[in-house]
Amino acid sequence: MNDNDTVAVVRDSLAAAKDSLAEVRMDTPLDAIARNGRARRRRHRLTGVTGAMAVMAGAALAATTLAPSGQSSSPSGRGAGHAPAERLAAWTVNRQANGDIKVNVRQLSDPSGLQSTLRADGVPASVTVLGHPGPSCRPYPMSQAMFASVYLADKPAASGDTVLIINPSALPSGVGVQIGATAGRDAGGAGLHRGDENQAVHHAVHQPARQAGAHNSVLRAVLVYASQQCTGS
Amino acid sequence: MRVRGMERGPREFAEFYESTRDDCLRIVLLNVGDRHLADDLVAEAYTRAWISWLKVRELEVPRAWVVRTALNTHVSWWRRRRREVALGEHDTAMPAEQDALVSGDLVAVLRRLPARQREVVTLRLLLDLDTETTARILRIAPGTVGAHLHKAVATLRAAIPTHDSQEISK
Repeated sequence: MNDNDTVAVVRDSLAAAKDSLAEVRMDTPLDAIARNGRARRRRHRLTGVTGAMAVMAGAALAATTLAPSGQSSSPSGRGAGHAPAERLAAWTVNRQANGDIKVNVRQLSDPSGLQSTLRADGVPASVTVLGHPGPSCRPYPMSQAMFASVYLADKPAASGDTVLIINPSALPSGVGVQIGATAGRDAGGAGLHRGDENQAVHHAVHQPARQAGAHNSVLRAVLVYASQQCTGS
Repeated sequence: MRVRGMERGPREFAEFYESTRDDCLRIVLLNVGDRHLADDLVAEAYTRAWISWLKVRELEVPRAWVVRTALNTHVSWWRRRRREVALGEHDTAMPAEQDALVSGDLVAVLRRLPARQREVVTLRLLLDLDTETTARILRIAPGTVGAHLHKAVATLRAAIPTHDSQEISK
């Protein structure tokens, strides 16, 4: 058998291997690709604009702030069905016209309130400040593409709030969202990470400015298996 | 009417994405053997293509760029993950049925090839590009493409059961 014959045999065998994957299809919708691309462009622009300031501040990638213990958190937020006009202390939740849920977080000072608000709006949700999913929640394995279709990280608000947009219709059946704040030991890791200790796949969402007197922390979003104990349904 | 580039870009990208995404995913999956990972890598590559579409669309073979970008991203992720702690049980990747889809001696050998040989095999045999195009994409001489292909094919050929060996094994 000469070289050309050998190449032909290998080519045919590889083609057969590829053909055996005919059922495998790229499920990521074009919209998710474009959305990721736009978000990354914004992030790059933001990095360029704020880079010098971040270096001067020495705390460039703090993602959000935890309210100091005991700080009043009232009023903390609004239900998703309400008008978004009022500016609130810790966080706001608003349903957008397309059904997405937009969460603005300045301080995660009332996680149970945020959790209740999201659940009341039909999102199986767990909000925690534990920094890990907690014993009653099991992380749901997911691809970056799935993550991107559920959590649509928006540009930071002008105020510096962390902005997270949840697309409930993209949640697989039996899956909920978990939002949590954790201490900022790895606050520099804006982006998708795998296999980081107890975290499954998590994402440090956009970063507001550090607030004086507040703890430095990272806001994380993951998917978890929905259950009564974890996400309320 | 002449369509301006900025208006044409999204539509062109959409057409490119729809027409190439499944094939690119299968090629990357053959190379990495993990469906979730392949999904992530290809989505990442297309995201980069979307961001740089005005440049990528001018390339000789844009889908080759996507596949190469996905595989190069895999290399950098793998290097990074080596430094991380072991994955938790929730982060296991491929269900058994997916594993079965892409198992086989040939594919296993493909994944063990040196990176450059694997790249040449991917471009020449999986994307079906000719030697000259492969050489231009990899920025190496056509003769070097031939040398890599020769070595890779010899290795891969050994993993393909011959008719004789099949008869013997019966």
